Amino acid sequence: MSVKEKLQELISEAKEKISLVQSVHELNDVKAKYLGKKGSFQEIMKLMKDLPNEERPMFGKLTNEAKQVITNYLIDQKQLIEDAKVNEQLRSETIDVTLPGRSFEVGKKHLLTQIKEELEDLFIGMGYSVMEGPEIEIDEYNFEKLNLPKNHPARDMQDTFYITEETLLRTHTSPVQVRTMLDNKEKGPIKIVCPGKVFRRDDDDATHSHQFMQFEGLVVDETTSMADLKGTLLVAARKLFGDKREIRLRPSYFPFTEPSVEVDVSCHNCNGKGCNICKGTGWIEVLGAGVVNNNVLEASGYDSTKYQAFAFGMGVERIAMLKYGINDIRSFYTNDIRFNKQFK
Amino acid sequence: MKVSLNWLKELVDVNITIEELSTLFNLHSGEVEEYYNLVEATNLVVGYVESKEQHPDADKLSICHVNIGNEVSQIVCGAPNVEKGQHVIVALPGAVLPGGFNIKSSTIRGVESNGMICSLSELGIDKKYHHEEGIHEITVECNPGDNPVEVLSLNDSVFALDLTPNRADLLSIMGVAYDTAAILKTEVKLKEISLVEVQKSNPVIIEIDTDKCSSYYARVIENIEIKDSPKWMQARLIAAGMRPINNVVDITNYVMLETGQPLHAFDYDLLETGKIVVRQANENEELVTLDNETRKLTVNDIVITNGSKSVAIGGVMGGLDTEIISTSRSILLESAVFDFYSIRKTSNRLDLRSEASTRFERKVDPNRTLLALEMASMLFGKYANGDILKGVNKVENGDLTEKVITVEAGKINKVLGTNYPVELIEETLSRLNFKHTLENDLLTIQIPTRRQDILTYQDIVEEVGRIQGYDNLPTTLPETVSMGALSPSQLVKRKIHTLLTGLGLNEVVTYSLTSKDKVLDFVSKDEQHLLSEVVELMMPMSQDKSTMILSPIRGILESVKYNVARKNNDVLFYELSKRYTKEEETEVLCGALTGELSNVLWQGKKEVVDFYTAKGIVSSMLLELGLSHLYFEATNDYSNLHPGQSAYIKDRSGIVGFIGKLHPQYEKANDLKNVYVFELKIESLLELRRPLKKVKEINKYPSIYRDLAIVVNKDVEAQSIKTVISKTGKRMLTDIMIFDLFVGGNLAENQKSIALRLAFTDPKRTLESKEVDERVKEILGSLEKQLSAVLR
Repeated sequence: MSVKEKLQELISEAKEKISLVQSVHELNDVKAKYLGKKGSFQEIMKLMKDLPNEERPMFGKLTNEAKQVITNYLIDQKQLIEDAKVNEQLRSETIDVTLPGRSFEVGKKHLLTQIKEELEDLFIGMGYSVMEGPEIEIDEYNFEKLNLPKNHPARDMQDTFYITEETLLRTHTSPVQVRTMLDNKEKGPIKIVCPGKVFRRDDDDATHSHQFMQFEGLVVDETTSMADLKGTLLVAARKLFGDKREIRLRPSYFPFTEPSVEVDVSCHNCNGKGCNICKGTGWIEVLGAGVVNNNVLEASGYDSTKYQAFAFGMGVERIAMLKYGINDIRSFYTNDIRFNKQFK
Repeated sequence: MKVSLNWLKELVDVNITIEELSTLFNLHSGEVEEYYNLVEATNLVVGYVESKEQHPDADKLSICHVNIGNEVSQIVCGAPNVEKGQHVIVALPGAVLPGGFNIKSSTIRGVESNGMICSLSELGIDKKYHHEEGIHEITVECNPGDNPVEVLSLNDSVFALDLTPNRADLLSIMGVAYDTAAILKTEVKLKEISLVEVQKSNPVIIEIDTDKCSSYYARVIENIEIKDSPKWMQARLIAAGMRPINNVVDITNYVMLETGQPLHAFDYDLLETGKIVVRQANENEELVTLDNETRKLTVNDIVITNGSKSVAIGGVMGGLDTEIISTSRSILLESAVFDFYSIRKTSNRLDLRSEASTRFERKVDPNRTLLALEMASMLFGKYANGDILKGVNKVENGDLTEKVITVEAGKINKVLGTNYPVELIEETLSRLNFKHTLENDLLTIQIPTRRQDILTYQDIVEEVGRIQGYDNLPTTLPETVSMGALSPSQLVKRKIHTLLTGLGLNEVVTYSLTSKDKVLDFVSKDEQHLLSEVVELMMPMSQDKSTMILSPIRGILESVKYNVARKNNDVLFYELSKRYTKEEETEVLCGALTGELSNVLWQGKKEVVDFYTAKGIVSSMLLELGLSHLYFEATNDYSNLHPGQSAYIKDRSGIVGFIGKLHPQYEKANDLKNVYVFELKIESLLELRRPLKKVKEINKYPSIYRDLAIVVNKDVEAQSIKTVISKTGKRMLTDIMIFDLFVGGNLAENQKSIALRLAFTDPKRTLESKEVDERVKEILGSLEKQLSAVLR
């Protein structure tokens, strides 16, 4: 048998053996058997010394080639073994991905806070500051400086929780506007919104709450106009109820504004065609507003011949009720988590 | 104010539907609550009952043969008052009556019936307006086949104005007519008043002995005949929502509705003295009013007297003694002006609101006082056959002049934000019937006395704005340039919301009013004196909403209870609210937690809220707010908290808040279980924050860790162990983590074992094991010396 034939035989034997190996450990044994110090190739190399000199290079070349072939078999087999191992791991680790994930519940802000913040952010974007103030107010700021003297018939419109003759639970956030005007030492322009809790002497039922949240706004400057009010409220209405909304202003009466208007928004449910939410009119009353009465400006030290102002106020619960079709104002204060958690 | 369209049409041309007019009123005048036809029924005719026979099979039914114009119809009728020879209202087959009631031909107990003979109630006229039982007999002249709704003057439409307190002028058909004319660009047609007086002079003597009555006009009408008022007048009153009574009462009401001026008719004979003295009532003076109630008066009320005794509460209600009754022959008709504020106070105090007081307290037009008297007198002549005695007797101190307001057209435009030409503004004023002149840009405007609400140029701006229509306003934004931003405290509050919702808590909003006996529920024993500082309402609606809260926890627990009772067992709530005292309002952050932290339903792993969960949530939030230096100190100062599971949350400067488990007895009393609550003062959080100013270098050198398990007495707090360790560990010790607590086993009853992991590093070099071990030995030494701690 020539050397070449011998090597050929060795290669086929090794191929056969290597292909049967199932583990890396076993593979190392096989590798030693052929390529190790006492391996088959060492045996073959011993034959070289008996060869004539001219045949030795050829012998070396063939032997090295054969070694390389076997080495390649070993590498390939190792890869196969490792792949099989990984595949086995993957198989064993396969899970039902349709089972539910472990829930990490994120809490929710109260709907009133969500709407308040949405409005705050809108107005901050237009250059307004957010002002807060006490809920226990003096009559002077809640009424008198707002053109509501003690004998004013409009005081009947807001039944009030009095604490003493002169102190009360604020019936609106307008006293914050009074305080802001009084505190403005330069008597310069003002652009504020005032969110907060207010109180009325109402029996709680589906549409009345003795406590609710108001969101009011005030702009004072030399050129502040009713058209500015209309534009501002249009922006707010669209933010709250969608880009396609229109508004309409209807004459009304508030002691603190003149002219005074009720503001309707075109119905977001029927797009103004008329439905049960808008009672068939296509419009929903959402807020009151107007040009600030000069008596109010003067009572807080503003020169009404120089300054004009507008103000508006809305009930946050009402906005939320309209927006989400909530029927009972008490839902906001019951705090049933199944209710509260819905608003994202 | 319910406005009859037919009545309005007497004063102004209206060529549009009630729906269109309502829309225009909404946009230009005031809110229209609703509009409707007075009678909402179809297919009605006048029928003449030619015969009436008993139904053979029913005692209570009659068979009528009714002439309905071109034929005679057989109708079975159940009303006992139907009679042969009556004109009646017939609903023909196919008629639809109010409430969607359909009339069909039918057979009633074997007898054919082709329609129904109707009562007024069946036409939708509420019984309070007619008091009739059974069918209505038409008493006005008519023919079979006529439309009965027209015959009865009920073919009217009504719109109901929801009036704001300023628009007193719209409490009269005349006032509504002026606004309608302005809106429709047409004219008001005033009614002619012509009355015929008899020779005999009006003998009444009038004295006013108070400044609360500016004018008093009176006429005396003799030989009146008390009877029903004419149908058309009754129909007008019904449309306006008033009940027809008799011609005298109806005429005074009718004229009041048309002019806005309340009138009162006294029985002149029962007045006895022929004298009227208006004065303030005496304290505790009593008067029985028309509604048969005895009214106790005060010196602030106005009374009408006959010189010796009171006969009416001026402007509010007449007295029973001088009421017009069926035998009355002569009347004294009063038309007067009373002080609005006085009337308001009287009617509020007596809780007695009449049509008259409603008008007086909003101010009447002093120029219609005499007009109303004359209009009513004319009607008494016509519909009560009265003899109008010669002359109006009066005391007249009222201000009848028209106020003048000046304003530049430019100012009107500046306030509205419009560019209305001055001609358009002038035209608007003319439409409103406001006389005016223009000089350069300055308008000088005379305000009719019917518009007592117009006081300043701002009211003129409103008139121009509303009549032109706010739809015509441009939409612009304020020119004011300003920077908008949240204040630092508002930003922190927003961050608190973000952190707590991120930690899984849900925000609640609760009521700030509570009952006084619950107000101290979550106030420490050191603050019990606050009970004298609580804010209480003068007139609470109920005792459970009488006092402003000192802590919202009580209210949050109500919400927890509500949820747990509905099997919403896992409740993690927080609220940003306030503590209200007479001195101040301070903002607080509160929370209540119970149940499981996160509901992993199928893997069985549950994190049940305990003290450490609650504390962990609060601590995590504090850490993120730059408040990791706050610490917890056990307390038993809260009577409704578990004394072994509650702590103050403190800073060196004092108490910032508290946290704890509800006391088992409090839980039991409130049907709650394992609830943990906390409260933090927002102001303290804001003050004590330590925001990051400079970044900390990350240490390049590795840390060396050592785990220790030590045994101490049970009452040794973890905080003191940490303090001892960190003092001995010095700078090399960079972190102490407690990772286990163990009691029982082979430990003594009063012992516990705490396992800690200590981290050591040096920012400048790699520490050697040896020096760390050395330091640990020192630490163990200190622990033993100071806390009698031993290595486990």
